[in-house]
Amino acid sequence: MTDPYKVLNIPSTATDEEVKKAYRELARKYHPDNYHDNPLADLAQEKMKEINEAYDTITKMRGTGHGGSGSVNSSGSYGSASYGGYRGGYDGGAAFRQVRAAINRNDLNTAEHVLNIISEHNGEWYFLKGVLCYRRGWMDEALRCYETACRLSPENMEYRQALERMRNAGQAYRPAGYEVFTTSCGDGNICGRLACAYCLCNACGCGGMRFI
Amino acid sequence: MFGYVRPALGRLSQEEQRQYQALYCGLCSCLGERYGFVSRFILNYDFTFLAALLASPATCGQCRCPANPFKKQTAICDSGALELAADCSVILTYYKVLDEIADSGFFRRQACRVLKGLLYSAHRRASARRRAFEEATGRQMARLASLEKERCAILDEPADTFAMLLESVSLEVEDPVQRRVLSQLLYHLGRWIYLVDALDDLEKDAAEGNYNPIALRFDAPSGKLSEQERELVAATLDASIRQMAAAFELGDFGPWKKLVESTVYEGLYCVGHAVLEGTFHAADWRSYFGGKKEQL
Repeated sequence: MTDPYKVLNIPSTATDEEVKKAYRELARKYHPDNYHDNPLADLAQEKMKEINEAYDTITKMRGTGHGGSGSVNSSGSYGSASYGGYRGGYDGGAAFRQVRAAINRNDLNTAEHVLNIISEHNGEWYFLKGVLCYRRGWMDEALRCYETACRLSPENMEYRQALERMRNAGQAYRPAGYEVFTTSCGDGNICGRLACAYCLCNACGCGGMRFI
Repeated sequence: MFGYVRPALGRLSQEEQRQYQALYCGLCSCLGERYGFVSRFILNYDFTFLAALLASPATCGQCRCPANPFKKQTAICDSGALELAADCSVILTYYKVLDEIADSGFFRRQACRVLKGLLYSAHRRASARRRAFEEATGRQMARLASLEKERCAILDEPADTFAMLLESVSLEVEDPVQRRVLSQLLYHLGRWIYLVDALDDLEKDAAEGNYNPIALRFDAPSGKLSEQERELVAATLDASIRQMAAAFELGDFGPWKKLVESTVYEGLYCVGHAVLEGTFHAADWRSYFGGKKEQL
């Protein structure tokens, strides 16, 4: 078994408080929210499992126990379903169920094929189309599809959640200290943030002159 | 491909900045060795970042760079990653030149024809070395050309061509987990580069009547976006950067961890912001000619 301290990236002399802090940071990083509908969700889930095991091992070794530690169990809200399974209780046509099953199998081509055959473009259709787009990385189309799905079925919570998740994605994990976005990046001066040190071209004599 | 991908150097230590410099010089000298002096000129920050992503952790060393006869320069000589990055750079640049010849006005077209001639033999050698990447690039560029012709108004579709193209670089990576991580990271890097480039060219394309997916998506033939539309563009750029960051956290980037981290959590946002505000090129010129040579 790997060294639990190594998994949490701390020395074995770390205090209980430091262990907890390191664990929380990693748990935030690999949280299912950051990997929802992500093709790498299984890797994140594996990491999460490792981290949970390492934390459990350390707390057990130290006898600090689980109680009150704020430990996130590998089951419960961090379980596999929350990395993006679609088991929703939608009782639409068989074709839609087929699409959902294909998406869960990560068989996107079949899902798309079936979706293209369905002529009824209702909320469910746009929602599933949105999921497909998102999984493929077509973020703008995904957002548009979720918006349409919500407009067609305003009462559906699943669609609304998907839309909200995309709109609130700005709250996703980032390491401490990093806080810029495309719309807000300090004073709007690229030099300020990038430290104005872009003169590699000068050092090498020939590198920075681009003709394209 | 166009010099948009930059780490936030302010986040890197002096040593890490020197490493980045050494990588840049290493790629430059690798290009020179493999493809002759002229091909050194295609070097840019995007290709340097590509080299950092591909660098396998164990093989990073240092050696003397022959590029500058007046000053001794440290250069990374991780041959595998640098060679791959150099080969891909040549292929991408060659196709970019072909694209320019098809799209540009008279004078630029002539200049690009000269470039094509200069890069011709380099491209032949590179494509013989990287068959799969050459084929993927040819295929995706053809797809892009036909989307441009039909004036596709879906943002993600033309972006998908460049994204898939860059993603195909990951096929050369052996480790299966790292390959998956890179495949996702490179897809969104390609998507981001394509969209930032389209955003950058918005007004120029409007003036020249060129295809621009952002102008068509928001039905803005003048190239001017409303505040709300600008936010939508920014949101979709952010979405790709976040996918890159999520992938980055699952991979192993060895000595380049900090470099990649500062790029996907800050550098790309800043460049996107500067492009959105129209200050990107102004800043570029200032740093090219503004002196500050002592910084690195």
